[in-house]
Amino acid sequence: MLLWTARRILVSLVLIWIVATVVFTVIHLVPGDPAELLLSSGGMAPDPAAVAELRERLGLDRPFLVQYGDFLGRLARGDLGASMIDDHPVIDEVLLRLPRTLELIAVGAVLAVVIGIPVGTEAALRRGTAFDRATSATAALLLAVPIFVVGTLLVLVFAQWLRWMPAGGYVPLAQDPWQHLTLLTMPALAIAKGLVAVVFRMTRAAVLDSLSRDFVRTARAKGLSPTRILVHHVVRNAIIPVLTVLALHMGTLLGGTVLVEYVFNWPGMSTPLLKAVEARDYPMVVGIVLTISVLFVALNLVMDLVYAALDPRIRHA
Amino acid sequence: MTPTRRSLLAAGAALPLLRAWPARAQRQPGVLRFGLSSFPPSIQPWVNTGTAAATVKLLIHRGLVSFAPDGSLRGELAESWSNDSPTTWTFRLRENALFQNGDRVTAEDIRWNLEQMAAERSTAYYRAQAQRIARIETPDARTVRIVTMEPMVTLPLWFANYHMMMVSPRSPTGAGTLPIGAGPFVLRGQERGVALDLEAFDRYYKPGLPRLRGIRMVAYADENLRVAALQAGDVDLIEYVPWQAMASIEADPKLRLDATDGPFMYLVFNATRPHLGDARIRRAIAHAIKREEIVKAAFFGRGSPLEGLPLTPGSTFYDSDLASGWRYDPARARALLAEAGVPNGFTTSILSTAQYGMHKDTAEVVQQNLAAVGIQAELRLPDWATRVTLGNRGQYDIAVMGTTTENNDPDGLSTLIDGSLAPSYVRSIGLRVPRIEELLAAGRAEFDEGKRRAIYAELQRIALAEAPIVGLAWRSQGYAMTPDVKGFKALAGALNFFSGITLEEASIG
Repeated sequence: MLLWTARRILVSLVLIWIVATVVFTVIHLVPGDPAELLLSSGGMAPDPAAVAELRERLGLDRPFLVQYGDFLGRLARGDLGASMIDDHPVIDEVLLRLPRTLELIAVGAVLAVVIGIPVGTEAALRRGTAFDRATSATAALLLAVPIFVVGTLLVLVFAQWLRWMPAGGYVPLAQDPWQHLTLLTMPALAIAKGLVAVVFRMTRAAVLDSLSRDFVRTARAKGLSPTRILVHHVVRNAIIPVLTVLALHMGTLLGGTVLVEYVFNWPGMSTPLLKAVEARDYPMVVGIVLTISVLFVALNLVMDLVYAALDPRIRHA
Repeated sequence: MTPTRRSLLAAGAALPLLRAWPARAQRQPGVLRFGLSSFPPSIQPWVNTGTAAATVKLLIHRGLVSFAPDGSLRGELAESWSNDSPTTWTFRLRENALFQNGDRVTAEDIRWNLEQMAAERSTAYYRAQAQRIARIETPDARTVRIVTMEPMVTLPLWFANYHMMMVSPRSPTGAGTLPIGAGPFVLRGQERGVALDLEAFDRYYKPGLPRLRGIRMVAYADENLRVAALQAGDVDLIEYVPWQAMASIEADPKLRLDATDGPFMYLVFNATRPHLGDARIRRAIAHAIKREEIVKAAFFGRGSPLEGLPLTPGSTFYDSDLASGWRYDPARARALLAEAGVPNGFTTSILSTAQYGMHKDTAEVVQQNLAAVGIQAELRLPDWATRVTLGNRGQYDIAVMGTTTENNDPDGLSTLIDGSLAPSYVRSIGLRVPRIEELLAAGRAEFDEGKRRAIYAELQRIALAEAPIVGLAWRSQGYAMTPDVKGFKALAGALNFFSGITLEEASIG
């Protein structure tokens, strides 16, 4: 087990190195010069001497391999570098922004579980009824409508027409908890939209599957109450694949909250990543993508280790 | 719990109470909430980091002079200035001008600022101009005498620019620090990427100003959300009103739109590519474009055709005949193509960007109009960063560009049509017209207003014939606000991005 674990960790480290190298190379190969762009803001013509000076100061005049070697050296020391735009340390930006994105995803996931599992269970129990058809159709609609349409509609209805909510923005929890939660509501609902539908459909299918299993028939034959059968046998068995799928979707959302963060002005990880790509702010792009990748790889590593611990066939395969 | 009819009715009845929720943070009296188009990447005072940063700089800092709401020059740190000889300008500083650390603004401080801007390792936007200063004399603490290497009638305009702000030499240095300014507001805090909080500087040199207690600047990168935030009452004033929203804002009695034509779209050429080095071909292109279609397609009708060099109609250098020299005339375009030896047109490419709708839409209209006279152009629409690099390297045939001149003086055209300047994506590549360069230099050195008008009239005539760029359309640039915002004014023409200076006189409520 120890050797297997060590091998998996080594594979994860190699994966992270590959991701770092690919991202570093690609962003440097894409046309666009950070110094030129920064000094060209507003459609103004930059002074070539100032551009040359800035390139030298940012180390962009050095050969690519020298820059790459420097990058790997810093990375090995846990240093993600500083933004080329304003010298702000990338790690500080990540530590500031990542919790906001995670919060959005976590609240969206909680909403998905709270809404999706009970409604999915009820739809399975009432299979073929009007309720089942209506909820399944709603889930299909939620999956089909793009997230920016839902986001824009939420803003239009609740901010512009009804004026119940602010249109968007962010206030730190410590500064004003009520305002923070108010501003969190609409983006979390937009994030939850797709997740609710996924959880609903998975739950419905899994509950239907469990309901036809022998252990349910046995439980009924033993005379257990329908509620006890549902909660302790059907849902408990059905929820495992649901949570697995939910976890995978949450991982995907780490890099997929761009539209929601943009539509609601939520200052998470996606916005600076987008800005950094536009401005060719190399350290910021590489730092943020690397952070997301490390989280992905770590999540997979943990899942592998847990599965291996639970099922010896995996580590002996 | 199973929902009952009674509980549903109760919930429905309670819905209106939701309006009473304190969903919005309470507005602080005297604090204006300004919706910025983006969070400034940097507010270092001498570096060009965009127009959102410029608005913030105009709150924290002041230069020697500034643009008044009517576009004229007025004193700021300098209470007066005079032209002692063609190469000598003297500025007399105010006695009561203070930096925000309480230090008096002295002539030595001004000298230090100009020397820093001109320094070898400087990234100041006005570095080249600062290097044209031969020497700076400071006979006393309130007098700065600037001697330029050549006659420079436009020198006071430099000092009104938001890239020429004066900061305290005793400002803190190092990572995370900002220079100390002498403007009406002090930066009190910022949430990176989210908002900036500014507070009135109580020792600002203009009595009774600023009127506001503070300004909270919140960045809304999405233009539709910026409008929604204004309509929802989250902010009091927004910049960069999207053209598609201008009509609804005008129709809303609870809002006010202040818009003016200022920035513009135009074409630049790579004269080293086939056919494009021929002025007849460039003129043919100029006459082939139906500019009303650009205004309609790219700007929802919010703008106007630009059929000459971009000189605003209010300018004393504006001439209505010369301003329509490139008017739509497809027959003339075809005749010019025939004269140039390509009666059936030719194939070329147009560089623009898919990142900004106005650039893409403009390019599409130009492509269609050129096809109508036989010029088949392929569109190249990379992201903005790539487009800038390709433009700077001259890797294009024709390119769509949008910008504004630095001020309303015709010398601002130099950046666009002076081919002797270093290659840049804002002007044509490989295209030098010596007479234009001579006239620009002459206009800069001429102190007589009448003679300057004659110089720039000739310049326009030559430019119409040579077409170093081709004007396409003025675009409307707007601010929108609630009616209780008083004193803020959008400056006209090229000065629109200087409008933030009027916030010192703004009030709310």
